[in-house]
Amino acid sequence: MTATLQKKICMLGAFSVGKTSLVRRYVESVFSDTYLTTVGVKIDKKTVDLAGRAVNLILWDLAGEDDISALRLSYLRGAAGYVLVADGTRPATLDVAMSLRGRVEADYGPLPFVLLLNKNDLAGQWAIPDGDMDGLRTNGWWPRATSARTGEGVEEAFMDLAVRTVR
Amino acid sequence: MSTSSPDPLDWLLRAPPGDDGIDRKALAGLFLDIARSVRPDLATGLAGAPATDIRLEQLRTLLMGHEIAVLARLSGILEDPEQLAAAVGRILPSAFARAQGDARLGQVLAPSLEKATQTSVRNDPHTLLNILYPLIVPAIRKSIGETIDKTFQSLNESLKYSLTLRGLAWRWEAWRTGVSFAEVVLRHTLVYQVEHVFLIHRHTGLLISHVAAENAATQDPQLVSSMLTAIQDFVRDSFSGAENQGVDTMRLGELTVWSEPGPIATLVAVIRGKPPEDLHETLGNALARIHAERHQALEDFDGDNADLADVEAELTECVALRQQRPQRQPFGFPWLALPIAVAVLLAVSAWGVRRWQEDRRWDDYIAQLRAQPGIVVTSTGRRDGKFMVTGLRDPLAIDPRQALGAVEINPADVVASWAPYQALDPVSVLRRLQASLDPPSSVALSIEGDRIKADGSAPAAWLERARAAGRVLPTGAPTLDLTAVRNLDAPADRRWDEYVARLRAQPGIVVTEAEQRDGKFLIAGLRDPLALDPQQALTEAAIDPAHVSAHWAPYQALDPQIVLRRLQATLTPPPSVRFAVAGDRIVAQGSAPSLWLERAHLAARSLPSGAPVFDLSAVRTLSDGAIGRLRDQIQARTIRFNHNDPLPAPGQGALIDALAGELKALETLAPIQHVVARVMLTGHSDSVGSGTFNLSLSLARAEAVRALLRKRGVDPDLLAVRGAGNLEPVDPTGTEAARAANRHVSFTVGLEERP
Repeated sequence: MTATLQKKICMLGAFSVGKTSLVRRYVESVFSDTYLTTVGVKIDKKTVDLAGRAVNLILWDLAGEDDISALRLSYLRGAAGYVLVADGTRPATLDVAMSLRGRVEADYGPLPFVLLLNKNDLAGQWAIPDGDMDGLRTNGWWPRATSARTGEGVEEAFMDLAVRTVR
Repeated sequence: MSTSSPDPLDWLLRAPPGDDGIDRKALAGLFLDIARSVRPDLATGLAGAPATDIRLEQLRTLLMGHEIAVLARLSGILEDPEQLAAAVGRILPSAFARAQGDARLGQVLAPSLEKATQTSVRNDPHTLLNILYPLIVPAIRKSIGETIDKTFQSLNESLKYSLTLRGLAWRWEAWRTGVSFAEVVLRHTLVYQVEHVFLIHRHTGLLISHVAAENAATQDPQLVSSMLTAIQDFVRDSFSGAENQGVDTMRLGELTVWSEPGPIATLVAVIRGKPPEDLHETLGNALARIHAERHQALEDFDGDNADLADVEAELTECVALRQQRPQRQPFGFPWLALPIAVAVLLAVSAWGVRRWQEDRRWDDYIAQLRAQPGIVVTSTGRRDGKFMVTGLRDPLAIDPRQALGAVEINPADVVASWAPYQALDPVSVLRRLQASLDPPSSVALSIEGDRIKADGSAPAAWLERARAAGRVLPTGAPTLDLTAVRNLDAPADRRWDEYVARLRAQPGIVVTEAEQRDGKFLIAGLRDPLALDPQQALTEAAIDPAHVSAHWAPYQALDPQIVLRRLQATLTPPPSVRFAVAGDRIVAQGSAPSLWLERAHLAARSLPSGAPVFDLSAVRTLSDGAIGRLRDQIQARTIRFNHNDPLPAPGQGALIDALAGELKALETLAPIQHVVARVMLTGHSDSVGSGTFNLSLSLARAEAVRALLRKRGVDPDLLAVRGAGNLEPVDPTGTEAARAANRHVSFTVGLEERP
């Protein structure tokens, strides 16, 4: 086995924000989605190239829960970073993402993360006010608008996170 | 330094007007020191004298400058705890090394070490656990694992195999090789191969290293590794709650996944086949070695396994673990012994077969002898290769030696001893009478019940002798009945009279004229063709037919006996019917098919007047009895269907079960009653839909019911099917209830007289 660099990354977000769609279309996947409902987690892999070295992001896709207390935060143990996903057409999911971040921070301390506002392709239904986006930026959250359908912003988001976990 | 007065040495210190080049200060100090040396109390007495004198310092510096610096540094080290600790620390290892020979060192250190260990355990037991892990785990594994698991496993396997053919072969192998039976069993049964070994970082679930066997299929091991960790977490969270405990065995068909947890990394082995329990120990030891040798690298693992590339070698050793089915050894089988063994086996079995056949023949022979009249077998057996038989034998019974030939037993092999006796069974008595009386050819002796009856005609002298012999038969023997033997020596006319009297007594014969004229006999009359043949009776009476002239006119006798015979000849009643004469009536009894009964009634009606009455009232129709009841039961059955459905409606199963039972009863009853039963299954449909559709649907329903009955064991030959479509409705009104009633299969039972 050749030497590789792996990082454990968790995908977090409210129910049906498109985490699994992101994972399904842009990463390597060998396990069935049914693991999500049975075990509550599904493992996928995203390989990004970082200055000539391949970094394998081992993605733990956690079952989306609107009731965040039900989320198995123990799965975050050992994570090098996480991806927070919210639905750009449903502002409530952004609140869920923020509270998830709070819980993760409380349990595991500050970890690198990226915040994805998914479903950017549904521009007509975009419901996050520009003011809120600016507010997030001033907090240093740097939200990224992505689309699981078109792939917009997905590669960059994973690359960004990879850079910050390896640093 | 203070120079305030009055200083006793001031004078000395004060410089003279002309510099004499002397260092007065140093000189003064010197004096002072000398004074102090002489009187130590002088210093206190000399108030104002400086406590320390710079000159002395200077002198010291002059005399021992280097040593002072060394001393200062040493005292600095001694006084500063940190420096002292560092200094002692530097020499401590070599100090311990040198003191190793001194037993006191251990005694001195022991209490402190104990205290330190206690504190460490109190603070965080994991630290010590992690330290001791590589030592303790293998030891514990060895003691517990080996004793318990192996015991159980070998016990199980021993029980499983101890009584099979293979088990016996393994016992032989164990005995031959001097290995315990359990080990032989394990060697043969535990066929396994370690296909994958994953070394997984416990904290992150990331893969540290993975090795697969050459032929093992695999998914992305990095993903598998994390998924395994996730599942472990899931199980731990869901069921256990205990820290550091998770799934240690997963099984999927032929694959077993064993997880050996270590403090930092977990070793997961995917094993195909049946791994032995001591494989746990092997894997656990490998994991312990990895922890011991690469502890730091494991602790520092952050996803980059470049530093841990060398653990792959350890894992490769684990993957090499396997137990294959042992190859058959090409040598060692005693081929030369094989023909000898086969020959011995053949000889033994041939001897066994021959002996068994002889015994069977002997048993047959003895059974034959026992069945013989006049022979009583009292004992039989086999001794020194010879058959023994003893018993009683009537001299007139068959020769037992002759019977030997029939069963192919060599008479030389038989030792028989027969005591003579006189048998009283009818056959023996008959033989004896035949031998002693020597009856003429016109006399036939036969056994009739417990009598021996003589028939025919004999001279008076023989008759006399026979009567005498009959009288002297021993008690218990059958009697000799000579009444049916005509005396040949009686006068011819007397015999003629007897003959005529016999004919007159015969039913169906009417003698109208019987005369004796010129040594000739004349007889005339009527004779029913079914009556006794007069010609035959003539021979029996020993009358020469040449002297007889007979004229018989045929007629139909109305005598009950003859009518009975005639009815029997024409009606050929089934065996279940008996005819009997009762007074002037002929009574038939039993049971008969209705068709036969119809014929019989017709015959009864067409009997001529004056003939006896033919009474058929005691004959039951077959259909009236059990079979008739069965027929009615079956014909009352109906199986319902849903609209457009060729299969019976739900809930009809019990009905079909009951029907099948009745049909099977009909099958068994029919041959007893001498009838042939046929059951027609008629399918019906409602009137919805086209005629042809309904016809095929109705036929399909009948076929379906036949198939269901056949499945329940009813002989399909009994059953015929037809479809009536909607043409034979039970209820033609057209209401929904009527349509539902019309969707059915009905049953018709035909009972015919057996040809």
